[in-house]
This record gives sequence, structure tokens and C-alpha cells, in this order.
Amino acid sequence: MSDEEHHFDNKADAGASKTYPQQAGTIRKNAYIVIKQRPCKVVEVSTSKTGKHGHAKCHFVGIDIFTGKKLEDIVPSSHNCDVPEVTRTDYQLIDISEDGFVSLLTENGDTKDDLRLPTDDQLNAQISTGFHDGKDLVVTVMSALGEEQICALKDIGPK
Amino acid sequence: MEQQDLQCSMQAVEQSCAALHVSDPGIRSSAEATLLAFRKSPHPFYACQYILENSQVATAKFLAAATIQEAAIREWTLISPEEKSRLRSYCLQYVMARVETSEGYILSKILSVVAALLKRGWLEYTQAEKASFLEEVEQAVAGRHGLAAQRFGISLLEALVSEFSLSTASPMGLPAEFHDKCRASLEAGYLQKFYAWAFDASVMVASKALEGQGENQESAICTIAIRLMTQILNWEFRGKLAVLGKSRASTLSSSPASRKSSEQLQLWHDLLVSPAKVTWILNFYEHIHQKGNAWLDLPLSVVVRQLIVLMCSLNGSIFPTDGAGTQEQHLQRLLNCIISWIDPPEYVISAVLAGTSESEMLDGCRALLAIATLCSPSSFDQLLLSFRQTGTLSLLSSLTCGIIKASCVRESEEPSWTYEALEVLLETWTVILQPADLSQKVPLPPSGIEAASAVFQTFVEFEMKLSESSALDEDDADDMAAFSDEAREDRLSAVALIARTVPSVSLSLLTMLVSKCFSEIRQSLGSETTTRCLEQLHWLTILSGHVLADPGEGETPTVPESILAVSAEPATHPAVSLSFALIDVAQQSLDATFRTTLSPRMMEAIVWFFGRWVETYLMPDHAGRGPSSTPSGHEGQGVSVGVLFDGRNALNAAFGKDGGGPAVLEILVRVALTSLTAWRGEQVLQEYVSSRLLPALVRRRNVCVQLLSMGSWQELATVFARQDQMLLSLSDSVQRALSGCLCRSAQGLANADAANHYVKDLLMPMAASLAEFSGRKDLATFSQQPNVIHQVSCVLERLRGAARETIPRTQKAIFEVGVSIMKPLLVFMEIYKNQPSVVYLLLKYVVVWVDAEVVFLEPKDTTTVFNFCVQLLSVYSAHNIGKVSVSTSRSLQNEAQTEKYKDLRALLQLLTNLSSKDLFDFALHADENPDVAQVVYLGLNIITPLISADLLKYPKLCRQYFTLLMHMLEVYPEKVAKISPEGFSQIIGTLEFGLRQQDVEVVNMTLSALGALGVFQYQALCKGDDGLGAQSRTSGGDDVLSHFLKLLMHFLLFEDYSNDLVEPAADALLPLILCNTALFEKLKQELVQRHQDVESQERVSTAFHSLSRGIEIASTIDRSIRRKFRSNLFVFLNDLRGFLRTR
Repeated sequence: MSDEEHHFDNKADAGASKTYPQQAGTIRKNAYIVIKQRPCKVVEVSTSKTGKHGHAKCHFVGIDIFTGKKLEDIVPSSHNCDVPEVTRTDYQLIDISEDGFVSLLTENGDTKDDLRLPTDDQLNAQISTGFHDGKDLVVTVMSALGEEQICALKDIGPK
Repeated sequence: MEQQDLQCSMQAVEQSCAALHVSDPGIRSSAEATLLAFRKSPHPFYACQYILENSQVATAKFLAAATIQEAAIREWTLISPEEKSRLRSYCLQYVMARVETSEGYILSKILSVVAALLKRGWLEYTQAEKASFLEEVEQAVAGRHGLAAQRFGISLLEALVSEFSLSTASPMGLPAEFHDKCRASLEAGYLQKFYAWAFDASVMVASKALEGQGENQESAICTIAIRLMTQILNWEFRGKLAVLGKSRASTLSSSPASRKSSEQLQLWHDLLVSPAKVTWILNFYEHIHQKGNAWLDLPLSVVVRQLIVLMCSLNGSIFPTDGAGTQEQHLQRLLNCIISWIDPPEYVISAVLAGTSESEMLDGCRALLAIATLCSPSSFDQLLLSFRQTGTLSLLSSLTCGIIKASCVRESEEPSWTYEALEVLLETWTVILQPADLSQKVPLPPSGIEAASAVFQTFVEFEMKLSESSALDEDDADDMAAFSDEAREDRLSAVALIARTVPSVSLSLLTMLVSKCFSEIRQSLGSETTTRCLEQLHWLTILSGHVLADPGEGETPTVPESILAVSAEPATHPAVSLSFALIDVAQQSLDATFRTTLSPRMMEAIVWFFGRWVETYLMPDHAGRGPSSTPSGHEGQGVSVGVLFDGRNALNAAFGKDGGGPAVLEILVRVALTSLTAWRGEQVLQEYVSSRLLPALVRRRNVCVQLLSMGSWQELATVFARQDQMLLSLSDSVQRALSGCLCRSAQGLANADAANHYVKDLLMPMAASLAEFSGRKDLATFSQQPNVIHQVSCVLERLRGAARETIPRTQKAIFEVGVSIMKPLLVFMEIYKNQPSVVYLLLKYVVVWVDAEVVFLEPKDTTTVFNFCVQLLSVYSAHNIGKVSVSTSRSLQNEAQTEKYKDLRALLQLLTNLSSKDLFDFALHADENPDVAQVVYLGLNIITPLISADLLKYPKLCRQYFTLLMHMLEVYPEKVAKISPEGFSQIIGTLEFGLRQQDVEVVNMTLSALGALGVFQYQALCKGDDGLGAQSRTSGGDDVLSHFLKLLMHFLLFEDYSNDLVEPAADALLPLILCNTALFEKLKQELVQRHQDVESQERVSTAFHSLSRGIEIASTIDRSIRRKFRSNLFVFLNDLRGFLRTR
């Protein structure tokens, strides 16, 4: 996705880029967290203390939900962390264009044409073959901090 | 075999041996294959001998030796007796000829080959054969053929003893009975002789062995001879001779000993405990001891010391029954020698610190432990008094103190000798103070009291210094769980035991130190000194917890007897003073300004301490009652009763219901509340509060009564119910535990109405907020906000915690709360379909809630619950079946898998909980309760597509799945039969999978499920119904049940399984046979036809006949038929399995 489109997304759906403060000590494994401005899923949390009689701190290992990169952060457990709002929306797949963009049907009948096929080969192949075989596919689009990506699909059966 | 062939095979083996070290895996695996083939080749003896004699490659020789053993045992019945004895003498000669060479391990391998050969033929040889062979060995051991032969003779005996001992025996493919017979034969007839020979041999070479630097031939012989003696003492004696070995202490059974065994006992007595023999060994070591440090770690010295320590633990009928006089003398004799290893302690320890080897001192400690295990405290003390001024206990005490001081000097962290010595010595104390058999507990002699208090004081002093110096250490990784750490726990319990023998001294010391530390902390606000004092106070708190109280662990702990026995005024009772010193700390921690001086770690210790203390001291149930009878053998029981009362009165006045109890309780509740709210983010502390302190407070009803009347508890409950942000920021497990404790305290209310009212007040506000959320117009966007997700998750956790603590008295309230949120939950299930963590919490809550409620439900309520579950399951399946999600990151993908797995487990639990309903209501006919079947049917439809062979590899999931499957097939086979064809074949597939599992329980459940399926089909056949109908023919044309019949027969006859499985297998096999007798007949014919000779054919068909005897005409499968068939199957398998499988 180019920067321009990023910009566009933010304007179009400003609410989706919201983050919320939450106390570090309560963020557990499998939750979401913002590390270095990236939305991550927490895959590991450990706590330790600053010296024997110091206070607790949390060590987070997160995986960027879009790029899959690993990120780490250490926060005193009484401080707040940013938690991103991660939403998943289902759309019916209408078309796949030549240049790799997909056309999706929204709930109110409009089309959404600003998303590419996912970067993941397996999912990509499943969408493409499924679509060309004429299956009815519903794709799930995950969005967080103004970024969007197709993350799952489901075959709702032939018509 | 030709010379050339031999040469060839040697080269092949040598090359392969060399190739084993090549890095290329291809070459390596082909080399391995060659070697394996060589080991398996028939009659390889000449090739092996050729390699042994001519090869230069050590590994090749070793392999050749191993091959001889393997092949000889494999082909034992095919080899002629001459060949066997030729092999044996070949090996012996080989070793004799090379005894001087350096390849010791090949020689000892060959000796073990000889031992294995001897054992294999042991039961076949005549007495004379064995005697003549052993006579030769004896000659060698006695040194008649020179030193080399002597050494090799003893080694051979060593190999024999280890081969005949059950735990070290090499596998021979023979029944356990054979091994046991060999063991018994050696034990009864030979061990004694071996011991005597070894003893004589060591006596013979002893003086030479002591010459030089301990490296000569004689010293080596002496070492292995004594090693053989220790090996024999370590032998696991059975039956009448079970008299030796470590603290096994079993005595002769009451039946009159046969003459032979009493003769044997006498012989053992002469060998092991007669003064002359013992004194010789002790004197021998004395000589070694005098050689100084250089000798202490020689193998010879080590092994002699081992022998002496082993002799310390001799016990039982080897000593004549003369009031333990002989044993006492024996121990005195040993102690007299051992004392020089450890006494005077200061001197010995400083020598070790200066560089002397510590091994002798450690062995001294071990010997003390061995002796203490066998003596009462006073006789232990007396042992030394017979030839000294001071008793053994004061020696033990000064040794322990010395070691504790020495560990101060040593800085290194890794387990050092001081650590090990202290372990052994503390165990010695434990054995003295708390014998395994409590009826043998006797009070310490006065000298012991002194000794114990010295040890305790030194220990405290040392640990205080250690805490002070380690307070500022940064690396806290292993300190985090310091007091759950097992080793530390053990040590503290041992020290606490010592402290309790001198309660007045120890408790006063602790009180004094606690007050001192605390006042220092208050004076030096916020400096490094504070940290030092905090660490000391932390440690003192933990130790005080151990000294004052025992861990409850499900039982109600009582005040330690010795503390109760201290008689004093309430105000001055040492336990009361110590408790109040710590209560003072707790109370001060409530002060917001002072709190900043304290640390989370300090608070953890305080909370831990009170979690333990509350159960023992706070408002005890038995207040006012006299002391319950104790199992202790208090000599002056009559006198001590009054004394016991005294301590109890003091404690009651201080912490009883009518004494100071309520005031202390108030402080503790405030401490809990403050810890949860004022120590933000300190998870460990909060875990301690919610999982230790609060559960301890609500465990007993009388305390709950008090709690509920208190303002602080009300405050906690209000803050909780209001969903105050303060408490919402606690972690999930704390939420659950806190909610559970609050609900549990309802047991203190007078009646069910009040209790239900209280629980509803607590939970309804949260249920209401869930309902409010679910009704919002902007739910779709609102619900996805992280803070909302957080709050919903918290509420779900709390409700689950509350449901888990359902008690009959609050069941109604918990049920109503659950019903009130049914609709919201369904909405959430839908709206959070993309938030797996919320879905999981939701499922878990329903699982726990159903589990808690299902036993109480009326038919009307049951319908409500079941309808709800059906809806919930359908929503879940609508969103989770057939969805493929792929993520760019492998670890995220794995996480998603794990989430699915956890969901599935929750679903399985839910279905199992639901289907257990009809177990409680079995009086109702199934037709009146159709919901169960409906839920089960739907559940199966949902579950089966999700289950995969990969998922079943998780043991927990596997068990749960088969539990459910078994239950469903037993109770609702007709429902299962109606499931979709894909689902059905999936179930059949998993059944086949289950049959092949290692887990006996899973196989058992699979068999029950199969049996249920078979019975269902058979009954249908009898009635002329359709039964499984078309379903049964879905898997590839073959009838499903016939398939299982074949599978089960093969399983029973040809595979390995536990004997416990035969009965369930019989129950499964019977209906399968009855369903398809034709196939059964065919299987029988197949097995008969496998055999060529008439006799075997006869045998197989007779066995089959006996299997089906009495069941052919069965029209129904009732209990008597089942029982009959079970015993038939046992006979059948006995007859046939061994016969068929050996082929």
C-alpha cells in the first residue's frame, strides 16, 4: 500500500485508528498492543522487578499483525500502554482485477475497491482459485491504526 | 569359517566402526546398518573371537563382545552345551591373558558377557557344575594364582552380582520369573560367600595397599574388593533376609524362622557386625586417614568410607534381640572411627576451607544421618557420651553451626560442599525431631534443647547477614519465586522444626529482630539501609511463617504442639508477641506515606505470612474445647494437658473471636484491599492476596460471619460490584479469585435468602452492565473498542470466578444471574466472533456455570439452560466452521491454532457437563428430557468436523473427546446413528485412532464406545430394526462393525497391551461377534489354516471353541453372559496368545 492510500484510509475512517490506554499489568498474552507505533499481538509477557525491592515491569514480545515482524517493549507495570482498536469486517468478494486489487461488497450495497490481494501466498492462492472456480467467498478484512489487510476467507457455498 | 572370511568380516566391522564418526549422515547410517546386521547374524562366535584377538580397533572389539552375548542368548536353545562352556572359558581365558593391558572396559564387558552366559544357564546347571566353577573363582579371589587373577576374579564376582540384581540385569527375553529365581538363588546361596571372599582378599592385600602412593596393584585389588562388599550391602534383599540396606528397617516376620535362614542370619551377623571384622575395616581406614589429604579422594578411601557409612545403616534382625545392646555397641564402634572425620568441627571445617578435601567430612555427615535414622534422640545422644564428655547432639549442633558459618565465607553461588553438608545435617535434625513414625516421637534430652537453640541462632544470624549483603543484588530472576522454591522451602521447614523445639528462645529472637528491623526502616526513610533492612525483614517474615504455622493444603492446620505448650500470660506469650510484631508491620503498611518506604516484595511476604497464619491462629473453630488427643507419645500426657491449655488460652485471648480476633481481621482486610488498589501493577502481590490471603479468610464459616459484619469487607464488595476502575485493572486470574472469595463469604450468612440476596447484590450490577452494552444501538462499533472489550472480559472472568465458588446456599442467585445474561451472551458471541479471546472467556464461563448448576436444576430450568446452550453452540459453529485464516507470521498462525484448540476443549467440557445431567436425573425417562439428546446431537455435529488426528495428539483433549464419545454412544446411540455420513465416518475414524493410543484410559474408553455401538446394532438386529442402517456401510463397502471385529481380534492376539484392557475388550468383542458370527467363523478358519500340523490346528480350534462356549445362543446381552465371556476370553488369550505371538 502506498502512503497516499494510507492517508486516504485515515481520513475515511478516522475512528478506526483510535488507541486506548490500558494498564500494562493487565495486558496479557494474545491481546493487542501498540509497540513503536505498530499494532501488535502480544505473544509473550514476562514480569520482573527493578532490583529486589523495586517495582514490577512488564516485558512484551509482540508480532506486528500486518507485517509479522517481531517487536519488543519494556514498560513499568503500573503505567499505561496504548491498545489499538483492531476490527475485522466481513465482505463478499465481487471481483479480482488484473492488477491485484479486489472489489468487495459492503453491507450497505456499496463497493470497496481499495484493497489488494493479501501478501500471503497461501491465502492469495485460495482466494484466486476459489474465485475462479466460481465459489461464493466472504473475506475478512482486518484493520488497525488506519491500515487494512485481508486476513481470512470463508466459502459460503455455491448459489 | 575360512581365515579369509574372518579377515573380511573383521575389516567390515572395523570400517563401519570408524564410519560411525564420519559427519556424513548417509555413510553413518549405512555403517549402522552393517553393524546391526553383524549383531543379528546367526552364529557369529568365530568372527567375534577373531575380532577380539586380532583387531586393533577398540570399538570393534567392544562390539564383538556385545555380539557374543546377544547371539548366545538369542540362540541359547540351539547351541550345544559344549559350545556354551567353550564360549565361557574362551572369554575367561581371554581376560586372564590380557589382564595387564589397558583396555579395561573391553575386559569388563567380556566379564559381563560371562556373567550373562552364566545367568542364562543358571537354572540348567547342576549344583556340582556351579560349585566347581565357583571354586575356581574362589581360588583366584584368594590370590592363589597371582595378583592379576585375583583382580579379575573379584571383577567377575562384581559382574555376576550386578547381572543377577534385578535392577541392573541385562534383558534376556525371558519372563520376570526367571530373573527372580536367579536373584533368589544367588541371594540364598552365594552372596554371603562372595562377601567373605572379598573381605579375605582385602585383608590379604591391605598392608601392601597402604604402601606407596596408593597406585599399586594391591591397592586396586583392595578397592574393587571393598567395592564388591558395598555392592553386596546395597543388594535388595527380600524375604527373610530383608535386613540390610538403608533404613529399610524391616524386621523378621513373626513366623518362626526356618533353621536355614536363621543360620544364614548368624553367618551374616558374623560377617558384618562381629567386632573383629568391623574393627578391622575401621582400623584399615584409620591408616588411610593418617596418610593425610592426598589419600582422601583416592578410589580406595572413597569406597572404604562408603562401606563404613553403609554399615551405619545396618538394621533389623541381623542384630540379636537383646534390647538393642549389640546394635548400640556396633554403632558406638563405628562412631568412634567416624568422629575423627568431623571432630572437632571448627578444626575440620577450617582445614577444608584451607584446601583439604571435603569428601571425608561429607561422608561423616552422611554417617550421622544414617545413625540418627536408627536411634531415638536420647540414644543418639548417648552414643558419644560413652567415651566422651559431650553427647552426639552437641557435636551435631556444633558441626551444623560450623557449616552454616562456613557458608558465609564461601561466596560462590553454585551448590557447594557447605550446601550439601547442610542439607544432610538438616535432614539429620529432621529425622531426630520428626521420625517417620510419629508414635516413636520422644522429647529431646536437655542437651538437645541447648544444641537446637544454638543451631537456630546461628542460622538466623547467618541468614540476616546474607540478606543484608544480597539486598542490593540486581539479578532477581530466581528470587522472584523464592519461597515457592522447593529447596528453600525444605530448608526453612527443617529450620522451623528445630525452632519449634525451643519455642521460647526462637520466637523471642524472631520478635526482637522483627521489631528491630522495622524500627530501623521507619527511622531511615528511603536509603540503601532501608533496602537492607527490608530484605532482612522480608526473610524474617518468611521464616516466622514457617515456624509459627504449617501449610494448610486442604487440611486445617493446628498450632504446633510445642508452641501450645508454652505457658505464659496472653500479653507475653512468644507466639502472640511475634504475631503482633508482624501485625504491626501490616498495619503500618496501610499508611499512605509510610507505604512508599515499603516495597512490593515486602508486602508479598506480609501477605504470604498472613495467608498461612490466619488458618492456624485467627478465631480458631475449636476455641474453648480441650486439646484433642494427639498421636504423640508424650510420656507425661497427664501432666501436659494443663500446660497445653495455658498456651491455648493465651492464643485465644489474643486472636479468638471474643479476644483480639476481630480487630486483627479488620487490619487484614484493609491490607488486602490496599494491596489490590494501592499497589498498581504489582501482579505477584495481587496474586498472593487473591489466591492466599483472601481464600484463607473465607475458608471458615465463623470467620465469614465476622467478615460480613465489617465495614471494610462491605467496602471491598461495593467497590467490586460498582466495577470501579481500581479493581478493573487487576489481571484476569486475580479477578476470578477475588470474585470467588467475595461470593464464598456468603456462607457466613444465616440463611439461603440472605446469601442469595448478597450474591445478587454483588453480581447483578455487572450482569446489568452487560445487558446494557448488548442493547446499545452503536454496538457494532462500540463493542470493538479496546476498553469495552477489556470491561466485558473482566466481567466474564468475575462471573466465572463466582460460578466456580457456587455453594448450595448461593446456587439460586448464581443461576438467576446466569439466566439474566443469556441474551447478552448470545449477542456477544455474535459480535465478538472475531475476538477469539472474548469467545474463549465466554465459553469458559458457560462451562463453569453449567458445571456448577447442572446438579441443582429443575426440569423447567434445565430446558432454559439447554436451549441457551443450543443457541450458543449454533452461533459458535456458524462463525467458526469452514473458516480459513492465514497470517503472515508463523507464530501468529500457531497462536490461532492454540486458540482453536482451547475453544474446542471448552466445547467438549460443556457437552460433557451437559450430558452428565441425565446421570443425576437417571430416574427420569429419557423421553421426558429430550433436550439432552438434542444438545448432544447438535454438539456432535459441531465437534466432529473440528476434531482432527493432529488435535487428538494433545492428551487432555484426547481424553475429553473420548469421554464424551463414550458417553454419547452408550446413552444415545440412536442419535449418533442419525448424524451426517461425514460426521459418522469421522467418529469411526477417531475410534480406530483411539484403539491405537498408548494411554490405557483412552483405549478403555474407546473399547466401551465400541461395545456400546455393537450392543446397539445387535439389539436392532434382534428387533429387526435398521440399527446403524446405511451408516454402517459407508466406509469403503466394508461393514463398519466387521471392520472393528477384525481389528479387535488382531489387537487382542498380536499386539502389546495392558492386562487391564482385557475386560473392556471382552465387553466390546462380545456384541461385535454376535452381530457377525459368520465373519467370526471365517477369522477362526484363517487362524487355523495358518498352521501346518494337525496338533496346532487342533489347539487353535479348541481355544476358539472354548471362547464361544455358552454364548452362541444368547439372544440378549445381559450381565451373566458378559461375565461368562470375559472369563472365556481370559482363558482363550492365555491359551493362544503366547502360542501365536512367538511365531
